[in-house]
Amino acid sequence: MATPLWSIAVVLLASFIGSYGAVMLKKVSAHIRQCIKHPIKNPQLIISLFFYGIGTVLFIVALKAGELSVLYPLVATTYIWISFLSIKMLKEKMNFYKWLGIAIIILGVSFIGFGSA
Amino acid sequence: MATKLWAILLVLFCTAITTSAQIFYKLGANVLQFNLFSLITNYNLIIGLGLYAIGAALLIIALKGGELSVLYPIIATSYIWVTFASSYFFNESVNLFKWLGIVFVIIGVTVIGYGSKTQAIPAEVI
Repeated sequence: MATPLWSIAVVLLASFIGSYGAVMLKKVSAHIRQCIKHPIKNPQLIISLFFYGIGTVLFIVALKAGELSVLYPLVATTYIWISFLSIKMLKEKMNFYKWLGIAIIILGVSFIGFGSA
Repeated sequence: MATKLWAILLVLFCTAITTSAQIFYKLGANVLQFNLFSLITNYNLIIGLGLYAIGAALLIIALKGGELSVLYPIIATSYIWVTFASSYFFNESVNLFKWLGIVFVIIGVTVIGYGSKTQAIPAEVI
């Protein structure tokens, strides 16, 4: 099966949405008790689960339609977006080893994708 | 905030749960029928969805214990669980590329773990 262009686009979209959802989940985790006790005043939990869930569903849909050897490396770019988003939105800091680890993971996921062809 | 060990272990456990969820969900989706009786007796599907929910809850708890940029990449280990699970349950082969990929993911996660403990460089330098 060839990889249709739309599945590549959906994977990239899912990657952005999922990354954003993960950052929101991290923010929510800091005051999770209030979110559970007063869900209407604190909709952040529901909203972030929604984003995270949409990202996951989009991944599942796209991965069915295309070759993993092409799509897995794109899925792995999520780790790059999360690194940048966590610098910007969570005030986390990156360093050489964290970037190196992400590069190695992207290679690893790509290999698994090639092996799944 | 430094990333605590319990958070790392919890994310690892969480990805194992999510992988199991995928397997139950896949088994349940194979026999999916859109009538009420079939849905409520589709135990694999129900267990799969339940495990997904537990996995999400555990992930949120784990995120309290460390940085997202350290904990999130650990989710990459799910590719490892899925590879072995697919081999066991669905008879897919684990070839050289997959083994190589598994090794790289393990190394990468370890390097990130090491990086979470070393000195950070300022954001402007990135």
